[in-house]
Amino acid sequence: MSNVKFNLEALLAAWQRAFPKLKLTMETLPLDEVVVAFPPEYLVPAVCVLTEQFNVRHLSTITGDDTGEGIALLYHFWSGSGLTLRTRLPYDALHIPSLTGIIPGAVFYEREAAEMLGVIFEGHPAPQPLLMPDDWEGEHPLRASAEDR
Amino acid sequence: MNRITVPIGPQHPLLKEPMAFQLTVEGESVIESTLRLGYVHRGIERLCQERTYVQNIHLVERVCGICSHVHTTTYCQGVEALLGLEVPLRGLYLRTLLCELERIHSHLLWLGVLARNIGFDTIFMYAWRDREIVLDIMEDLSGGRVSHAVNVIGGVRIDLTEEHRDTILSQLDLLDKQVAHLLGIVEHERSLKARTQNIGHLSLEDVRRYCVVGPVARASGLNVDLRRDRPPPPYDRLTFTVPVHEDGDVWARTWVRMRETVESVRLCRQILTLLPDGPVAARARRRVPAGEVISRSEAPRGEVIYYIRSDGSDIPARVKIRTPTLTSLITLPTQLEGVNMADVSVVLAGVDLCIACADR
Repeated sequence: MSNVKFNLEALLAAWQRAFPKLKLTMETLPLDEVVVAFPPEYLVPAVCVLTEQFNVRHLSTITGDDTGEGIALLYHFWSGSGLTLRTRLPYDALHIPSLTGIIPGAVFYEREAAEMLGVIFEGHPAPQPLLMPDDWEGEHPLRASAEDR
Repeated sequence: MNRITVPIGPQHPLLKEPMAFQLTVEGESVIESTLRLGYVHRGIERLCQERTYVQNIHLVERVCGICSHVHTTTYCQGVEALLGLEVPLRGLYLRTLLCELERIHSHLLWLGVLARNIGFDTIFMYAWRDREIVLDIMEDLSGGRVSHAVNVIGGVRIDLTEEHRDTILSQLDLLDKQVAHLLGIVEHERSLKARTQNIGHLSLEDVRRYCVVGPVARASGLNVDLRRDRPPPPYDRLTFTVPVHEDGDVWARTWVRMRETVESVRLCRQILTLLPDGPVAARARRRVPAGEVISRSEAPRGEVIYYIRSDGSDIPARVKIRTPTLTSLITLPTQLEGVNMADVSVVLAGVDLCIACADR
């Protein structure tokens, strides 16, 4: 965590330089939180830009959300102000490279998103369940299709 | 030398809540440790998707048994932002008063737990005796010692009379004196220092790598506090300092928490003195317009973050909760490496574990 606020314009420019083909979309949520969307294959390179060029290294958490059209992953960062990177995974390709190599603090959040929603984080060092029992069989509990038990 | 594996938990006298550790020990030193969570997982995030926004206030209050109020505060702050609702200033002041009282209660409770774990029962008894003052104040305000059910969407459900305010101010005078005494013990007592200094060490780099928050991060030199860095009203009108220490050991965490307690008593007094007149709550609609919000607060253990997505109905489509304990748990294997077996309990106490929070 850091209280040094990042320069949003410079950050967007740096991302645009790094991924010239990508059309970046940005929205501002209430309570001053900025959300930028990336396709799944761009997520790890985008985080690399954040950590290496802007020293934004505090990942608050990863939210996995079954929106009905796929699984949205929201990577919430903080550096004097909130910044979230959003990516959407279709149900037939629920995998994304793990962030743990760049941000070791992501280890629990990825395990949680994996067990709750069935996302596979490629290259995660210890992909066992975090909260659910080891012998859990059945649907991932936070999937919209999961029945009440 | 032979290596043996020592299991601690899920049920163990050392732990206040269920969690499992496997410590690999060579002689008296811990070589390696792994931990397993989930024994008090209650599926709160999923349950939130099946209850209305109003019912959820009481559900998220049960995420944590110590800092229950900050969870409802963060949740309500998010829902109010989605509604575009302006909360009356008096409501915000009273909400914040409870937040600061809760911080004092949490830190004093923690000091007692630490003292108990290092075998210093006198501090344990003093800390918990003094914590009763805060619990009394909170009970008089809300009717509950730990679960207050004070927040509603749009404000709070409690109010204060002039007379009640003066009573609390005099209780705070007593608390001030006691907390100063406890801080003195932490700063000067040799036997406490002997058990807590140079163990459970986390460097500033470790704290950054593992994205640690709250007093554990501040005790390793990371100068962050959401109350100052992005102050929700009324923090922008209050003066306080954020204690930071460089040592990164259990003693530094103790010092940071006790200094914070002193600051919180100061904040409570300012809130009571500046308390504006007016209503305590605004009327909120039951249906919340479609949208998303990310709400953050500084809990006693650090940054709490809520993500709420609304689909336009009276039931949230997704509520994600990240509690600060989870960030400290990631660092435990690093902290326990090379620690003497007798100090394991001190290291565990040092991070201020709240397993129910972490498991949700």
